[in-house]
Amino acid sequence: MAFVFNFPDVGEGIHEGTVVEWLVAEGDVVAEDQPLLKVETDKAVVELPSPKTGTVLKIHFAAGDLIHVGDALIVIGDAGESVPDSGKGTTALPQGSDAVSAPEVEVADQLATAVATGSRRPLATPKTRALAREMGVDLSKVSGTGSGGRITDDDVERAARGEVSLTPPASVPAAVEIPANVTITADGPVERVSLTHLRKVIAGAMRSSKQISAHVTHVEEADATALMAAYRDLKPQIEAEHDIKFSVLPFFIKALVECLKDFPMFNASVDEEAGEMVLKKYYNIGIAVDTPQGLIVPVIKDADSKDMIQLARQVADIAGRARERKLGLDELRGGTCTITNIGPLGGVFATPIINQPELAILGLHKIEQRPVVRDGQIVIRDMMYLSISFDHRWIDGAQGARFMTQFARLISNPNLLMARL
Amino acid sequence: MPRTTVYEAVTQRLEILDLEGQVDAELMPELDPNRIIEFYRNMVLMRAFDNKALKLQRQGRMGTWPPIQGQEAIQVATAMAMEDSDWLIPAFREQAVMVLRGVPAHTIYAYWAGDERGSAFPDGVRCFPIAVPVGSQWQHGAGVGLSLKLRGEQAAAVVFGGDGSTSEGDFHEGLNAAGVFKTNTVFVIQNNQWAISVPLSKQTASQTLAQKAHAYGVPGIQVDGNDIFAVHVAVTEALERARTGGGPTLIEAETYRLGDHTTADDASRYRSEEEVEQWREKDPIPRLRKYLEANGLWDEERETALENEAREWVDTQVEALEAMPPQPLEAIFEYMYDEMPPHLAEQMAALKAEVEA
Amino acid sequence: MSGQKQRLTIAQAVRDAMRDEMRLDPTILVLGEDVGIDGGVFRATDGLIEEFGPERVIDTPLAESGIIGLSVGLAATGFRPVAEMQFMGFVYPAINQLFSHAARMRNRTRGRLTTPMVVRMPYGGGIHPPEHHSESYESLFLNTPGFKVVVPSNPYDAKGLLISAMRSNDPVLFMEPKRIYRAFREEVPDEAYTVPLGLASIAHTGDDVSLIAWGSMTRVCHDAAEVLAVQGISAEVVDLRSLNPLDRDTFIGSVMKTGRAVVVHEAPKTNGFGAEIVAQINEHALMHLEAPVQRVCGFDVVFPLAHLEKLYLPNRDRVVAAAKKTMEF
Repeated sequence: MAFVFNFPDVGEGIHEGTVVEWLVAEGDVVAEDQPLLKVETDKAVVELPSPKTGTVLKIHFAAGDLIHVGDALIVIGDAGESVPDSGKGTTALPQGSDAVSAPEVEVADQLATAVATGSRRPLATPKTRALAREMGVDLSKVSGTGSGGRITDDDVERAARGEVSLTPPASVPAAVEIPANVTITADGPVERVSLTHLRKVIAGAMRSSKQISAHVTHVEEADATALMAAYRDLKPQIEAEHDIKFSVLPFFIKALVECLKDFPMFNASVDEEAGEMVLKKYYNIGIAVDTPQGLIVPVIKDADSKDMIQLARQVADIAGRARERKLGLDELRGGTCTITNIGPLGGVFATPIINQPELAILGLHKIEQRPVVRDGQIVIRDMMYLSISFDHRWIDGAQGARFMTQFARLISNPNLLMARL
Repeated sequence: MPRTTVYEAVTQRLEILDLEGQVDAELMPELDPNRIIEFYRNMVLMRAFDNKALKLQRQGRMGTWPPIQGQEAIQVATAMAMEDSDWLIPAFREQAVMVLRGVPAHTIYAYWAGDERGSAFPDGVRCFPIAVPVGSQWQHGAGVGLSLKLRGEQAAAVVFGGDGSTSEGDFHEGLNAAGVFKTNTVFVIQNNQWAISVPLSKQTASQTLAQKAHAYGVPGIQVDGNDIFAVHVAVTEALERARTGGGPTLIEAETYRLGDHTTADDASRYRSEEEVEQWREKDPIPRLRKYLEANGLWDEERETALENEAREWVDTQVEALEAMPPQPLEAIFEYMYDEMPPHLAEQMAALKAEVEA
Repeated sequence: MSGQKQRLTIAQAVRDAMRDEMRLDPTILVLGEDVGIDGGVFRATDGLIEEFGPERVIDTPLAESGIIGLSVGLAATGFRPVAEMQFMGFVYPAINQLFSHAARMRNRTRGRLTTPMVVRMPYGGGIHPPEHHSESYESLFLNTPGFKVVVPSNPYDAKGLLISAMRSNDPVLFMEPKRIYRAFREEVPDEAYTVPLGLASIAHTGDDVSLIAWGSMTRVCHDAAEVLAVQGISAEVVDLRSLNPLDRDTFIGSVMKTGRAVVVHEAPKTNGFGAEIVAQINEHALMHLEAPVQRVCGFDVVFPLAHLEKLYLPNRDRVVAAAKKTMEF
């Protein structure tokens, strides 16, 4: 069996050498350890002895040739044997591997490509990225609200719910004139407005109230004709005598307070841990005020002990200061029941959201003239809808109905209301 | 007042066998003729073993090899004076001592061919592995000597090093500690005149290496390292001293490195052929052969028979070397700690997966 | 088992470890400079020579390389030497014997010869000493396979870990935080007991950020955790105790819980072991990170002398600041 003798590393890191002279010729019979050739390397001229006994079948390279470690130098075998193709063979010791440059070139290419396209990865911590993967959200399509434009877990969650903020695509049609505060989304132009702290607080409060209470809204209709007559009569006298703006709201506040006395559970909160309903023996009525920044609910303390003039004065004062954001913290807390007087702004009735930790909120709606049937006759009366949202965990629908029946009764019969004050 | 002499030193040299094979009758030790023949036989076998390694290297079947050619007498005489209970701590040019102390010859081939199993010696063979960081083994000689003394063993640590290694700090620290603790140690310097390309004259300003012993309060002696009888006497004395609580000895055995430093070296770059030829005349093997023949203990027939025996024995070692199956991948990881720590097990598994993929 | 305990400093606990184990194992020797008659410059070997004699407690010549070289010879032939390097800053001459031989003998001989030995080294800054007495070189050893490296932060661990080290069949580098040798006392059992090598400890539980450290820096992290608690941040202190083998499960588990980490060490920052911790957090807890891992380390400078030492060493306030950085990311 022919043996191919490859040029070994004869001196710790030799790569090549020069053939100085061959000491044998093709056809010669050689013995193991017999010197075959002399090679000159960087370090020395070395003699290479034969690893095998046999006949020299083939000699590659001539004197003066450059040889590299691993090159087949000579083939030794039996006389007349065929010679295998020359080329790199194996020696007893493993040769060092050639330096491979191709992978390095590949990497350089990839880097160049990345730089050229200017690809910019979305900013997100590993934890947020993992969340995005979990929720199937493509981060490159999410706009980050975190510091430095970072995408937060919240951003990912909102994106997952479909409240997606889209980033603009790379190219924009040049012809379109875009105002400075408007950005183009895939669906069309949008303007982004920062959320105020108040807005975020309201958002939190509304969402959690809806999550906490089992909201039910009961709607009642009241005939406010007599009330409006009384109001129109009183208004100029009161406004002349006291320097205030007299609205119809104090009537409603008083009616509400009377009903709260009749139905204490509407003026309460619940201590679930103690397993107790806390019935408030004081009457702090919150008045929902619409301000340019959002809804604020200042509280009129002890509405039961104030007459309507005082109530009117207080309502005007807190509403004004609410709009100017000049209310004290104490004026915004401690309410036991809330009124939302949405009527002046329009609408028929509504489903207000309870002001936690209260159990009920009263909505007052538009008073307007409507045809109604009285004693078989169609007459024109000042009618209004009243809505009350209450927490059905603690107050049943029947109670709500009874409450509103009483309230409507007091509104419709102001003399009855007066009798109780 | 005049200066007084506080210390005076004398260093002696021992020679017994001359270049013609004649011995100094007064100094000649009592040795059984068969033992002397054994000296010769071992030197011849080990030279053949050594020469074959050089050829294997040029054939790509062996890694770098440091030849012992010319230094056989020191190695054979020392090895044959040692007992099984003595420890051998080699440098890296002590193949003959190691084989004669029980290290299987083919495992020495395996070590230099790049297989760690070449340093895994059989149970009961008291031999340290080859020390590559030059001179670091001098300290182990002191440590093992101390160990034997503390345990009350009647045994010695025999530690080797070359002339170059005496410049390392470990030589100083090892001898100093051996002197202080009076350890059971024999320090043998194979002074073969060259540390790669640096001759002894550039290695130290000391006139001899043996005299350095004085600095440590340790007895020292210089011997003709190519004189097997002188080496035998010096080593036997030192072993006796070390084994019986007499403390350490430093032996400088003067010899010559007839070959290159290793197969990666070309000595003709820094020394003359004349010098080499001059020292070849002091070659320990023909020298002892002359003695044997002069005393009717050897002849041409026995020489031929020995040459054949040597060739066969060496061929057997080569076969054993090349029959060794390769170590498995796990061998890279398995011998780092008593128990493989988890992070290493992970790395091993990862490599395995890569390789098998 | 006497069940008795004493309140000991780290230095005393170290001494007791050697004493108790030497009573049990006659192959244990103590060697080093001034360890015998003087009882050690930190008194860590105080009383040992009186009890065990000069053949077991050996005052060596002044030669660090020699101490380790002797130890290699002793360890390979049946003894279990406990060698002392007087200061870690002086281990350099012994590096050759440690790296070339102690760490490699088992591998070199395929397990036929091993070097079971302990090299005790007081390390670290904070005692305003002369030059070369404040260094922390653990990185060198941790990047050299073959050693185990162990660092206690308190007396109980010091005794238990040193006894485990003496019983180990591998060479163990035992780093002693000299700044806190006598800083505080703790209850330590009288008899021999072990704290396993390769096991970290949660020295203080918390939820917001993991403070990962070893040696004197564990104490600094405790102080930082107290300050952070007052500020409403709950910090967990992970005392690694064993740098090799490293208890990855414990510190990774902590980081997975808190999502934030600060690694603290005295050694210079670049290539310090903190980098390895961060690399492992990257590999095993990336998805849990809320913020990049912070490192509070020494600087890439020669350890300053006493006057400027305070500026160099990681301190409670630097750790607190780093922890807050992770919280505010």
